Amino acid sequence: MKISLNWLKEYIPVTHTVEEIANKVSLTGIESNPVTLSQGLDKLVVGHITSIKPHPDSDHLNVCTVDVGEDEDIQIVCGAPNVADGQYVIVARHGAHLPEGKRIKHGKIRGIESNGMICGLDEIGVPEKYVPEAFQNGIYVFPEAEKTGSNALELLGLTDEMVDLDITPNRADTLGMHGAAWEIGATYDEKPDIKKAELDDAKVKELSDVTAEVNDPKLVPDFLLRELKDITVGESPLWMQRRLWNQNIQPVNNVIDAANYVMIEYGQPIQAYDLDKLQENKLVVRNAKSGEKFTLEDDTEKSLSHNDLVVTSGTQILGLAGVAGGISARVTPDTKNVLLESAVFDGVSVRKSAQRHDLRGDASNRYEKGVDNGSVSEALQRAVQLVDQTGSVSEISQEIVGNKTEANPTVITGSIAHINHLMGLDLSTDKIMKIIDQLGFEAKLDGDAVTVTIPTRRWDMAIEADLIEEVIRIYGYENLKGTLPSGMETSGGYSPKREFSNKLSDSLLSQGLDEVINFALLSKTEVKAFNTKKTNLTKLLHPMTEDHEYLRTSLIPGLVNNVAYNQARNNNDIAIFEQARIFDRHQGEDRPAEVEYISGAISGNIANDSWNTTKKEVDFYDVKGIVEELLSFTNAKSHFEYVTTDEITNLHPGQSAFITADGQRVGYIGKLHPSYQSEHNIDDTFVFELNIDELFELNKRKVQSQTAPKYPSVSRDLAILVDKDVESGQIVNDIFTNGGKYLIDANIFDLYQGSHVKPGHKSLGYHLVFQNPNDTLTDETVEQAFDVIKESLVQKFNVEIR
Amino acid sequence: MSLNDKLKDLRKNGINEAKRAERLQELNDLRVNLLGKKGPITKALRGMKDVPAEERPEIGTLANNVKKDIQLAIEEKMDELNQQMITKKLEDERIDVTLPAQSRTIGTRHILKQTIEDIEEFFIGLGYQVDAGHEVEEDHYNFERLNIPKDHPARDMQDTFYLTDELLMRTQTSAQEGRDMESHDFSKGPLKVVSPGVVYRRDDDDATHSHQFHQIEGLVVDKNVSMADLKGTLEALCRHVFGPNREIRFRPSYFPFTEPSVEVDVSCFNCNGEGCRICKYTGWIEVLGAGLTHPNVLEMSGIDSTVYSGMAFGLGPERFAMLKYGITDIRDFYLNDVRFLEQFKGVN
Ligand SMILES: [Zn+2]
Repeated sequence: MKISLNWLKEYIPVTHTVEEIANKVSLTGIESNPVTLSQGLDKLVVGHITSIKPHPDSDHLNVCTVDVGEDEDIQIVCGAPNVADGQYVIVARHGAHLPEGKRIKHGKIRGIESNGMICGLDEIGVPEKYVPEAFQNGIYVFPEAEKTGSNALELLGLTDEMVDLDITPNRADTLGMHGAAWEIGATYDEKPDIKKAELDDAKVKELSDVTAEVNDPKLVPDFLLRELKDITVGESPLWMQRRLWNQNIQPVNNVIDAANYVMIEYGQPIQAYDLDKLQENKLVVRNAKSGEKFTLEDDTEKSLSHNDLVVTSGTQILGLAGVAGGISARVTPDTKNVLLESAVFDGVSVRKSAQRHDLRGDASNRYEKGVDNGSVSEALQRAVQLVDQTGSVSEISQEIVGNKTEANPTVITGSIAHINHLMGLDLSTDKIMKIIDQLGFEAKLDGDAVTVTIPTRRWDMAIEADLIEEVIRIYGYENLKGTLPSGMETSGGYSPKREFSNKLSDSLLSQGLDEVINFALLSKTEVKAFNTKKTNLTKLLHPMTEDHEYLRTSLIPGLVNNVAYNQARNNNDIAIFEQARIFDRHQGEDRPAEVEYISGAISGNIANDSWNTTKKEVDFYDVKGIVEELLSFTNAKSHFEYVTTDEITNLHPGQSAFITADGQRVGYIGKLHPSYQSEHNIDDTFVFELNIDELFELNKRKVQSQTAPKYPSVSRDLAILVDKDVESGQIVNDIFTNGGKYLIDANIFDLYQGSHVKPGHKSLGYHLVFQNPNDTLTDETVEQAFDVIKESLVQKFNVEIR
Repeated sequence: MSLNDKLKDLRKNGINEAKRAERLQELNDLRVNLLGKKGPITKALRGMKDVPAEERPEIGTLANNVKKDIQLAIEEKMDELNQQMITKKLEDERIDVTLPAQSRTIGTRHILKQTIEDIEEFFIGLGYQVDAGHEVEEDHYNFERLNIPKDHPARDMQDTFYLTDELLMRTQTSAQEGRDMESHDFSKGPLKVVSPGVVYRRDDDDATHSHQFHQIEGLVVDKNVSMADLKGTLEALCRHVFGPNREIRFRPSYFPFTEPSVEVDVSCFNCNGEGCRICKYTGWIEVLGAGLTHPNVLEMSGIDSTVYSGMAFGLGPERFAMLKYGITDIRDFYLNDVRFLEQFKGVN
């Protein structure tokens, strides 16, 4: 809410600039910004139209003679439909600056001299919707005679300086001028002088023609009415109107304006009804019936829910409680008798109704966050006083009570020592008591114990911690010296799994893969694309878009998007990985398990043409090498294998494999299926995906140091011819099975398939290395082992030894 | 010719020949030819028998000197030739060092991960455990245990992706507070933990909003935790992240799960407080929210709030990284253009 300094001055002395106040209030209480209205506007004065005649060359323009407080009147051509002789108006003089850089100069309008402009409020910075209806399509006319030539902006409140309080939801007590005065006053050690509204006792009568009833007192703790008879409805005085439009409220008439004015003063919404338009003289606050219809002031109809609270008279719905008034009992110029309502409605109920019907506004905003139930009655009295002042009523009823809940101040007990302790300060008792007094709270001391009575206007305060906040913020956070927690030493660190996962990420970084971060919420197509675990999909209840509807089951779709995004921008050579969670929901469970994955995608060249190298496109074995290096960092004792598969739909059936650890699947690797690639418009791309949680659970190697071998190794080369479908992995496994304890290595060094070998066959060459760590190997020992290996290969795979 | 003259002649010729040599082989041959057993000096000394006995020692000395002198000349020439060879070899092997390298590329850690790890490691140094928590969380931990009951208006500030009535994508890493507090054994010392991770909000993605982003929650619960401890800790953090001369300030704020609550500003690292675009000409930049753990939150975790107190803070790695590196669009973090990613190599 914007706090006008002119208004604030009614309660506390204002001795600082608006900037200083905004800064100070930001540091001690509520985030604030200085606002200066009509900045840069000038030469806007009050003019009195002394004569008016039609423009000779126009049917809608008038030529006005205007007294602007100078010796000679000036002539202004004006096109406003509501311009008339005798009006006091806003005149922009020659050279005047208007909003948006507009400048007024004298000149001729259809041949007639015009020395300025007669302005509407919207032309000098009041947004059109807050301009009184009568002046919305024309010039503004002052309600009373004003001194000609005087500063029009000042008269219209448009030179006000304001502090805009951007409140947090707990500080709705400052959504009224009184609360704001207390808050700003506490900061400057000034107690606001707030006068109670006095009524003309002679007019207050025992009237008994209206009653009120509340169906659910819990939802409506306070519901008070006052009846006002024989009022005159008309325009409000300028001082009230200008304060309203500065609060972004459109002035309507003296009754509705008074109600709104009191809301700004007290933070207490007030509602007004035309008594003569009520079906019955009994107001009932009840829940609406489902589907019941209600017509708003702007004539739109709402269909109500049984959770909506409504104020009714018979079957007539007067208003959506705390949210919006209706059209049926609206106060209009012909209204004679009025009911004013001041009530407290349940914040949650109001919030939900306002949300349900998209009607959040000034009143509902206040009820949602709370209002001071200690000032319901006083605010009502103030509204009555204002209406009486402007509409001269004949009779005023006593309070008509639908429900009334006693407002009890909160009492907080605290300990001076504990308060200091939690602040990390050592303030004297006097200093703390002084701050509590500055806030306008009453406190009693009993040794170290302090008992503080919190006025109802600060309903946000309930416990000692709240009191601590008040003391430290008024004392000033800038006076607090930082320390570090002084408790027992603790050892910090990552969880073992996080350490493990970091190690795997590091191994990929060191192999040249860039790390990416993708969204976890994906489209249905994406979560189905690599659901290799065949998990149940997890869907959001209310997704925002189809692109982000399901929880991911794999990191690959995100990586594929990244490859596509980059290749579309000519970043063709891509090597990326992501370490994040996928969501695996088991049958019959709502909550998915969160599983840590590490996955990569590589596309394009892994080496480029240069002055001394030639380019190389990535292939399966490059990516397999990366995965193997990563797996070596798991420190697992397990035997990892690559098991050919054609099960994964979006992978190339001839270039993909499950990765197993001692037979258990821990991931997969492969080339993307050509049709999947073309769907995503990407080049040949290889991917891998590994389950970190499963890798983490594998038994670790126990490393027992061995000295480097002192005896020489012996090698043999083995060349074989074998059916092309036999996998090298099978051959190598068999070599190791039969190679004896001295065989330490078997590397393939040649693979040939082509015209020089038997059709349907391939030729393989292996380099075998034997070593005895404790002795020199004899040729005989090696030869024996070599023979066993060859014999087995011949028998099992029908190989031809070459 | 006397033997004496013969030897002197041999010396002169030997030295000249050594000087004329162009290859090492010539010098080796010369040594064998002149100084070997079958060489002219040895041969000439056979004429010693014709020399008078008293002159023999003199001739002997001369002969030795001649050998030494020739030997020396050969060695000098050898050194010279060796030196020439090395010089030539060096010249032949000269390369253009400005030609491009054979690249050995290490990948770049995502800038958000770098930012998070930098902060994690700072807190690990102060004795904090790192506990990442759950991305799918119960309403109970994400809201209720943080003093945000079902109808609390604070729930409006963070529109939530629900999976069921009770399950949601966590909207804040503070959701981990309840779990950390209830599982901690206070007899083993204070609870000091940071919880980094991904959070989700029902926001439309634009330059400043993302439906998925990161947070780091910090929590300390012990018998003597104060606002001053909070200020000191965050001061040290901000100096670690934004530079040693940074100051911080607290402004009162509101979070349902802390009381008192503060917003924390750091003095602008760009203009040192003079005022610039980054700090919107205030000299200060809002970087995080913090406060003392609300007594209700402690009590809900079974912690006696009259004995224990807590401090909590929450910060956004995206915001930190955007401030520090001048990133203007939050979507850049999730588009993963490698040219964007790779510019952050080695920054942390
Ligand atoms: Zn700055």
